[in-house]
Amino acid sequence: MPAPAEGVSAKSDMPQLLQMDLDIGDFCSDWSHCDLMSGYVARMVSHNRLDSVLFANLYSSALNELLETVFRVHGQTGTLQFSVQRQDNLDRVELVFPADDAIYGVYKDAVAKASHDNAETLYLEALFAETEPGPGLGLLELGVDYGARLSTDRHDDGRMCLIAELSLEGEKE
Amino acid sequence: MIAENAALAFAWSYNDNDQEFSLKGSLRPQKSDELSLCMSELEGSVAKVSGKFYVNVRRLVRMNNVAFHALACKILDLVRERADLSIHVTTSSVVGWATRKFAVLEAVSDKITVSEYDSEFYPGQTFLEEGGFIPILRTQTKLTWHHERTLLADHGLKPDMEVADICCGIGDFAVLLQKEYRPARLVALDHSRSSLDYARKVAGEFGVRGIDYVFGDASEMLLESDQFDFVTCRHSLQVFDRPELILRELFRICKPGGRVYVTNEKNSHCLGEPRAETIQKTYNEVARLWAHFNMDIELGPKSRRYLIEAGFDDIRMESFMVTNRDGNPQDFADIIQSWENVYAGQMAVQRGDSEEEIRALRKGFQDHIFAALHPKGYAGWPVWVASGRKPA
Repeated sequence: MPAPAEGVSAKSDMPQLLQMDLDIGDFCSDWSHCDLMSGYVARMVSHNRLDSVLFANLYSSALNELLETVFRVHGQTGTLQFSVQRQDNLDRVELVFPADDAIYGVYKDAVAKASHDNAETLYLEALFAETEPGPGLGLLELGVDYGARLSTDRHDDGRMCLIAELSLEGEKE
Repeated sequence: MIAENAALAFAWSYNDNDQEFSLKGSLRPQKSDELSLCMSELEGSVAKVSGKFYVNVRRLVRMNNVAFHALACKILDLVRERADLSIHVTTSSVVGWATRKFAVLEAVSDKITVSEYDSEFYPGQTFLEEGGFIPILRTQTKLTWHHERTLLADHGLKPDMEVADICCGIGDFAVLLQKEYRPARLVALDHSRSSLDYARKVAGEFGVRGIDYVFGDASEMLLESDQFDFVTCRHSLQVFDRPELILRELFRICKPGGRVYVTNEKNSHCLGEPRAETIQKTYNEVARLWAHFNMDIELGPKSRRYLIEAGFDDIRMESFMVTNRDGNPQDFADIIQSWENVYAGQMAVQRGDSEEEIRALRKGFQDHIFAALHPKGYAGWPVWVASGRKPA
């Protein structure tokens, strides 16, 4: 069986494009890592898209919101496993990171809101709130603006998995 | 003003004359107070005006939700506090997320409008896209390629280079480049989705792989800086009312030591025999016609000045004449006929020319065709080629 980075994802049947494992503490040591990683990965996975530049810009924006969310809400120690898969025009981003039950609850709640029928109203409420935006705003935007299908999964090893499935090409073409 | 770190490399400026506050770059702060200076300058700019205030985010390439929350709330507060104020946000069609993101502002206040900046920078695009121009563009490229095929090498193009063809139109020049020069990478950019669709279709049919056709605004490209060895921009500076903005971008994406190659025309120098006089008269009028639409079809010989002023050195420049002797004279005649159709049939009509003026304009085109097809005739269309090196 090929290593996950060379074949299909361990958690989906989709072919894997890229996988990175890094220490959550290292990742969260500098805010700019979200921007750098999203830009780098977007460039890596965009070369064979219909319009590589438009796609990379959109992909980077979506991925950055996921990474910024994890940067803000995650468990103290452990590994952040980041992988991207693609089947035709469907891109799947999978982030596995340390999370206790409380943190898992935050994500479960945010994903439920992003998938809810009134997600757009919830997004506007969160966006125009008086206070600093909560950690769920990025996920809400992904659901509303990017049509992302979000899901979570609990792992036995004290980590959780956040999955976003995106279809970024074709909307503006 | 400029703020600079990896995730937060952005700048803002205020144009009092246009009541326009512009933001550009990458805006991904961790906390909204990182934007406090920018937000207070936005507030200060708005305080000086009444009526409509413009927020220009066309060159804002990246923006996270922290920044959007701060900006959106500020814009909403401003219109709520001031009865006399409305705000218009201008986004760009080449930044995929921007229009959708900002559109929510329209939903929360009728004093905020959002629109996608698109064609106002390209006065000639409508004529060229709607004029049934595609077959003729292919013929034009066929005839100019006859000359440029070897000229490109003289201007520094070699195999395995990283190449960009900006304002690629229907992409046929990029296909010829790909076949002849085998670049390591070839990006072909244009602002017309229909032209790009056509380009991808043709490349697919011809089995030409490796050309990355991308949508973009040549004056504000998403392409990163310093990445191409050779950048071409053909027959396009003459179509823009501010060619220096395009050249600034061509300079930016070119690697230090790389070269930018431009071709442009001087239509008043089109010539033919017999009937030289009416031909000359028509093309002098064509130059005035283009100028009416803020385009400079006389730009060719000015290319050297433009390149120098854009910061290039080692300028190489020459001209070639596409003629009825370059192949089948009918090809040349077909090009002239298409010019007549667009210039006399559409542009002159739109300018408000009288029937008599249009008839006189058509006469020179028909005489040019006559010269091209005459067994002893000669007809020419001059093109200026210039390239400059980006200093290393």
